[in-house]
Amino acid sequence: MKSILSREFKAYFTSPIGYVFLTFYLFIFGFYFAGINLSQQLGDYSIIFSYLVNLLLFTIPLVTMRLLSEERKNKTDQLLLTSPVSVWGIILGKYLAAVLLLVLTLGLTLIQPLILEVLGDVPWPAVISTYIGYFLLGATLISISLFISAHTENQIIAAIGSIGIFLFLLLVDAIATLIPAQRLSSFIFILVIIAIVTLYIYLSIKDIYISLIVGFICAIITTLMYKFNGTLFDGLCTKILQWFSLFSRYNNFSSGLLDIGSIVYYLSFIFVFLFLTNQTIEKRRWS
Amino acid sequence: MIEVTHLVKKYGKHIAVNDISFSVKEGEILGFLGPNGAGKSTTMNMMTGYLSSTSGSIKINGIDILENPIEAKKNIGYLPEIPPLYMDMTIEDYLIFVAKLKKVKKTELKVHIEEILKRAEIEHVRNRLIKNLSKGYKQRVGLACALIGNPKLLILDEPTVGLDPKQIIEMRALIKELSKKHTIILSSHILPEISAICDKIMIINKGNMVALDSPENLQHLFTQNVRTVLRLRSIDEAFTTALSQIEGVVQVKVLETVEENTTELAVDANQGMDVREAIFKLCSETNHPLLMMQSETISLEDIFLKATMSMENTATLENTPETTTSLDSLTAEKQNSKEGVKDEEYTI
Repeated sequence: MKSILSREFKAYFTSPIGYVFLTFYLFIFGFYFAGINLSQQLGDYSIIFSYLVNLLLFTIPLVTMRLLSEERKNKTDQLLLTSPVSVWGIILGKYLAAVLLLVLTLGLTLIQPLILEVLGDVPWPAVISTYIGYFLLGATLISISLFISAHTENQIIAAIGSIGIFLFLLLVDAIATLIPAQRLSSFIFILVIIAIVTLYIYLSIKDIYISLIVGFICAIITTLMYKFNGTLFDGLCTKILQWFSLFSRYNNFSSGLLDIGSIVYYLSFIFVFLFLTNQTIEKRRWS
Repeated sequence: MIEVTHLVKKYGKHIAVNDISFSVKEGEILGFLGPNGAGKSTTMNMMTGYLSSTSGSIKINGIDILENPIEAKKNIGYLPEIPPLYMDMTIEDYLIFVAKLKKVKKTELKVHIEEILKRAEIEHVRNRLIKNLSKGYKQRVGLACALIGNPKLLILDEPTVGLDPKQIIEMRALIKELSKKHTIILSSHILPEISAICDKIMIINKGNMVALDSPENLQHLFTQNVRTVLRLRSIDEAFTTALSQIEGVVQVKVLETVEENTTELAVDANQGMDVREAIFKLCSETNHPLLMMQSETISLEDIFLKATMSMENTATLENTPETTTSLDSLTAEKQNSKEGVKDEEYTI
């Protein structure tokens, strides 16, 4: 794992990607730092992060698009998968390389609040919790993007796919408010999800009977629950969609709250996507 | 060293590898021979743990590749069809990365890399970026990568493909040299290459194992008759009759004329019968000057074509076990198809 981590991290700086990422970040951070903190003489560095959340949307795919798709395209995955390392080791190494780049970038921006500290007062608890939130959000987006990258040999498709999913996650709160909260619509929504899952199972195992049986059992259970415990379905779609609202969780941190629930939420999100990435690679070997 | 039993790989309904079994002892070189798409690479990918098998087992040094992949993979050096190179690294950095990946001890790392660079003869280009190397050098870096960690078993997938003739000869010499220290399995669709290097040959076609034996035995197996080609100034009826009456001669045929004003004859004799002396005596007694006499052995090309052709002839029987694997059945098949190929001219 360590060898893959160090190779990937070095690879960021043998190609322009690492420099472009760093430069871009430092420039944007510096721009807001000068425009808000310095010119308006504000000591609260955490303010500028609220302008910079959307930045992650377009820059994270840049650093992750290559990670797994390029290996497949150049057939170098044959080296990794035939070496005495586990698939988990490979994925973790690659994931941590991207996370390390993010840490390095955020680490460099720390100079700015330190400058503010010299000039005046900085509310450190708020700044630190904002940093932690921003990092966790970035690390979660990296895990999603890595998962997308495992699905294609084409870097551009990996990047565009990631951006698309990030946009959905960004808009998920707005979408949730638009969806009607009645029981029936929730019920239909669940059935649609069951249909999609059934299709996914069918595409994975190519066995129409098993997938149909699984789909039917889930649909029957849902119908029974709807009949006998209807209150469960009140506003269910909104609740489900809000599980995916990565960006709104971040707001807790920026208001200076170090919310354990949110930290666990992000960490479990990361774990799930790394697990899914692992499954994707294993599945390809076994199909 | 490696033991493969009843290996099967299916992609949906398509059977890529169908019930292949073989074993290789330490120090042997086994060659996989087969047309493109025969299942050579798939078999190798399964042996190295890159792909899983649908059924069957692969044991490397007694360790099952699916049960204990990490331990089993420590014994394997693999050069895939396309060498797995990171284009943006220098050769030295790349080899160090691979060495770390293969868990070479830190204290031995420097010495080991030096040794590998020397063995693959890429010392002088060690600081070049891999993307700037020629195909031949890339192949050598790929081989160097396979050698790292001194694996007992080397699996080389078409190691000479895409190289120029000089590089091919060098690569073959290198493989021969490596065989002193490693057990090697290599694949190729080029026949002379396989017969020059390997102790044992396995012919694969459409995922089925057609034959598995030493090059010499394969030649014996596929030749019933030993052919002797004669070139004479002139012949007559009485002479050919006398020839066909020599003990052991099966048939005498007139071939196409090669040299002007001469006749080319082919004398087929039973295996194990040396008829050359008798022919010589007959020629001198009947005063037919003998211009040339040459023994002809069936080449691997012919074996290969016969083996893969007889597969196609029996394609309808493909799924019955008797027709696929064992050598006995192969002989039977060959006899069935003997009529069809008997009249072909063999050339070397």
